[in-house]
Amino acid sequence: MSKISAPRSNREFIEACVKAGDAVRIKQEVDWENEAGAIVRRACELGAAAPFMEKIKDYPGFSYFGAPLSTYRRMAISLGMDPASSLPEIGKEYLKRTNSEPIAPVVVDRKDAPCKENILLGKDVDLCRLPVPLVHDGDGGRYVGTWHAVVTKHPVRGDVNWGMYRQMMFDSRTMSGAVFPFSDLGKTLSDYYLPRGESCPFATAIGLSPLAAMAACAPSPIPEPELVGMLSGEPARLVKCETNDLEVPADAEIIIEGEICPDYKVEEGPFGEYTGYRTSPRDFRVTFRVNCITYRNNATMTISNMGVPQDEGQLLRSFSLGLELEKLLRSQGIPVTGVYMHPRSTHHMMIVGVKPTYSGIAQQIAQLAFGSKLGPWFHMVMVVDDQTDIYNWDEVYHAFCTRCHPENGIHIYRNTTGTPLYPFATPHERKYSIGSKVLFDCLWPVDWDKTNDVPTLVSFKHVYPKDIQERVLANWTAYGYPQAK
Amino acid sequence: MNQWEVFVMDMAELAEGKDLELSIRTLNPGVHKYTYKHVKCQVSSNPEKLPDRLQVRMGRGQLSPARFSIKVIEEIQRMPAKYA
Repeated sequence: MSKISAPRSNREFIEACVKAGDAVRIKQEVDWENEAGAIVRRACELGAAAPFMEKIKDYPGFSYFGAPLSTYRRMAISLGMDPASSLPEIGKEYLKRTNSEPIAPVVVDRKDAPCKENILLGKDVDLCRLPVPLVHDGDGGRYVGTWHAVVTKHPVRGDVNWGMYRQMMFDSRTMSGAVFPFSDLGKTLSDYYLPRGESCPFATAIGLSPLAAMAACAPSPIPEPELVGMLSGEPARLVKCETNDLEVPADAEIIIEGEICPDYKVEEGPFGEYTGYRTSPRDFRVTFRVNCITYRNNATMTISNMGVPQDEGQLLRSFSLGLELEKLLRSQGIPVTGVYMHPRSTHHMMIVGVKPTYSGIAQQIAQLAFGSKLGPWFHMVMVVDDQTDIYNWDEVYHAFCTRCHPENGIHIYRNTTGTPLYPFATPHERKYSIGSKVLFDCLWPVDWDKTNDVPTLVSFKHVYPKDIQERVLANWTAYGYPQAK
Repeated sequence: MNQWEVFVMDMAELAEGKDLELSIRTLNPGVHKYTYKHVKCQVSSNPEKLPDRLQVRMGRGQLSPARFSIKVIEEIQRMPAKYA
């Protein structure tokens, strides 16, 4: 693999984004209460540059970086690619790197770990010393973790998990978060800690390198510290926590250490979510007790403001979910041509392109997709043939509206796993993470005669001889038309 | 005078003339704004009757136009002492 020059820290990433015109430095003071959130939200809705807010009301020395990966340009920058790279190019690079050999992390001495520049212990621990923003007006609280990694470890298997579980500040030393039972952390809690009544050590890392955040967000089976190494082409730098044995990214801006309480819960939510709504009910949720805070000098807190498309909640999650499903399907020998989730589907619809070589292939894809650990995060699979450009919504929508038989092409799967975040789910379904799924099979049946039964696609590139197409294209401006894009 | 806010699913949760247990968050200005306490309290739909002010949000964050007053009787420590 050629040398990768991806930003190694949040700070390097901000500099790279500013240089490329994909981040703006905001010098005037910004209020942590709603104003910062509103700036990030508007930037997301406009597809604008990421706001780097250098002066925060009440919090001298701290700054915010919002909407870190809410555009494909910034995703390309995070991977060390040309910002103008196309989505298929970015996806191809992600697949290449994540199919490479794992790169183990290195543990550095604490003196080489910038995240240890300031350490708060004992009575000094107070989350309110950090510029925790009120992201949306009406949220249930100020959210500490919106773009971060919650680091935990299974005590028996030793599996390390970095997950992006949202965390709300309940009081100066307590956070509550949405940890769903089907998530990696949810399984670790229900498998080990809750039955034993033991508290689970955790560390929340905020202001990660963009590739560490990407790893925390990706539903990959590869342990995140190794995945970061594969994405960046060099070992992730970790450092041991102050109050537990976990290891955290040494270059992170802020680390919050503590324990998850097995026998105590406080309320969490509501919160503006990636679906574009506040859906999941306020409820008693997983509770994090804070024992230590460490942070860099002039620390930058990262903010993802989830809402209507598009923010990194949709964009990055759609990207990684689609590509991880593609890897899964290829590992099963399915002749897929690609998998794509349009961010505007709020990662609810998986579009799969496949060479339809045998009967029931769409059903097989749907069963694998819904049955995998990725399954709870989406409820629609649409399967199109290898002639349909899965990145072109016009083509996909046309295929859906013309090839999906209302009776034979729509398959519903009932009583599956869902999330409380589905806006369409009933209150009962939200409470118990009950889902349902649907497959839209947009393939021509393989038992149709290809000559006489399968309709012919009537389009410029499909019905005209090649020489006619070339002549028309060559003469297009001569006909009086502007050059087509 | 302090300002507080509470989330409810139903306004009936704010019964008057009774001791209630609520999680309320402070709206007082400063860095601790929006942090919660769990308290025993009484509330009134008369915004002037009790010492502190209380505003109400519904389950999805919608601010209710109704204004209440509240008297915090005591803070309740629900958290097990081992986490203190």
